[in-house]
Amino acid sequence: MITLRTEFKKIKRKKIGLTMCALIGIQFAWLLWSGARPDEKEKLQGWIEMLYSLPPISVIMMPTVMSVLASRLADAEHKGSTYKLLNTLRRPGALYHAKAVCGALFILGISIAQFLFIIALGYARGYAGHPEWKRYAAAFLLHLACCLSLYLLQLLLSMLFFNQMIPLVAGLGGSMLGLILMYIKMYSFLPWGGFLSAAQAAMDWNPETRVIHFFYRQYSRVELCAVSMIFIWIVVFYTAGRILFSRKEC
Amino acid sequence: MLTFYIRAVRAESLKLKRSPVWLAFFSLPIISAFFGTMNYTLNIGVLKSEWYSLWSQHTFFLCYLFMPALIGTYCSYLWRLEHTRHNWNSFLTAPLPLSTLYLGKLTQAVRVSVLANLWIFLLFYVCGRLAGIRSPFPREALEWYLCGTLGAVVICCVQLLFSLMIRSFAIPVGIALAGGIFGLYMTNRDYGMNYPYSLYCMGMRANNPNMEIHIPALLVNSAGYILVFAALSIFYLRVHERAAD
Repeated sequence: MITLRTEFKKIKRKKIGLTMCALIGIQFAWLLWSGARPDEKEKLQGWIEMLYSLPPISVIMMPTVMSVLASRLADAEHKGSTYKLLNTLRRPGALYHAKAVCGALFILGISIAQFLFIIALGYARGYAGHPEWKRYAAAFLLHLACCLSLYLLQLLLSMLFFNQMIPLVAGLGGSMLGLILMYIKMYSFLPWGGFLSAAQAAMDWNPETRVIHFFYRQYSRVELCAVSMIFIWIVVFYTAGRILFSRKEC
Repeated sequence: MLTFYIRAVRAESLKLKRSPVWLAFFSLPIISAFFGTMNYTLNIGVLKSEWYSLWSQHTFFLCYLFMPALIGTYCSYLWRLEHTRHNWNSFLTAPLPLSTLYLGKLTQAVRVSVLANLWIFLLFYVCGRLAGIRSPFPREALEWYLCGTLGAVVICCVQLLFSLMIRSFAIPVGIALAGGIFGLYMTNRDYGMNYPYSLYCMGMRANNPNMEIHIPALLVNSAGYILVFAALSIFYLRVHERAAD
């Protein structure tokens, strides 16, 4: 707890929350722009469509957003060359754990803001009925887990490399890879494609009538494996990061 | 003046020696080219304009989303060298005018952007041939390259200013990503010519090789942005110097 509190003291006045708000604000602007002025037909499917439109945006933006968050948290140590000092006071594993929890709290805040926004947007646009809470809760939890897995990967890279260009380029590469995965299948076993596996809604487009039909997704066995892979990545990245950071020469 | 400039460029090159930063500019266009070509070959029945169709597949996401962020990362790296430890003291007391020192940084950023663009075009040509396109390489490609490179210089100037003002490495990269995404919106609304992050995509004709753009307007706007952002950076450097005193 003391280490976690110290983490928050270290980032005081670093405006990390503001940075995250600005980046998430771009997502909000995108969502506002993409489905503005829906007609009656679109309003009927509005709540499902909202769940369909969030994952592609997350696939593109979240790897880079997570790399920015991890880099900001790790950079405090790199710039001040504080590892030696900190490791003599606390175990390196505890320090790593505190950084992971600190980032996770930011992610929780971001995810809550995103879902509150899409629900508010749905009501503001006058979508028919109410959101299906079970699906929205599942989407929220899986979105949180995907962000966490990417954050832990980025934290690992940001803590290991002094040159922050490496983790940020990895984040950008992840965004691009996620985009590619999106065109291949609606699920993926790679960490950057987790948002696709987590998508609660799917789409059926009829090329003849040009009508789009959204529906809640029924997971096949392979897709369920892809979803469970998100949690496996969390364990793998956290464990690898903790071990590698503990062994790192300061 | 020229001797000063060459000295500044050499100093920056020395700072970047053995740094693997160019790898990002090498690898990301490969991913984009691979994906674009794959998508082109899978949808060859719909995409009938050969080189033009392939070009849109290669460049859309790269130009709008990733190149601004990549240039932003490089610019952040250039200034990070000064932001760390006490390097500002040696940078600001170097026996060269501040404007020349800034031009040294800008030259490095422009150099890597020019090379990255060349690499994108080379990949485009190779992938086109591998995908079985036998028609001659489009002549307009030279125009796309020149206009795109000019747009990239604009992004370099904007990002150099942000990275100079913001000590964090990551925030300017986030700004560049957001700028690129917002550029998509601005281009869609026909305001692309007035928005610095859209100039690159418009110059490159990303996603729409048949797009008609007003080249004199692109030249004037790009030159304007380059001058304004370079002047702001140099002004900020001078203010920074006084603060250091």
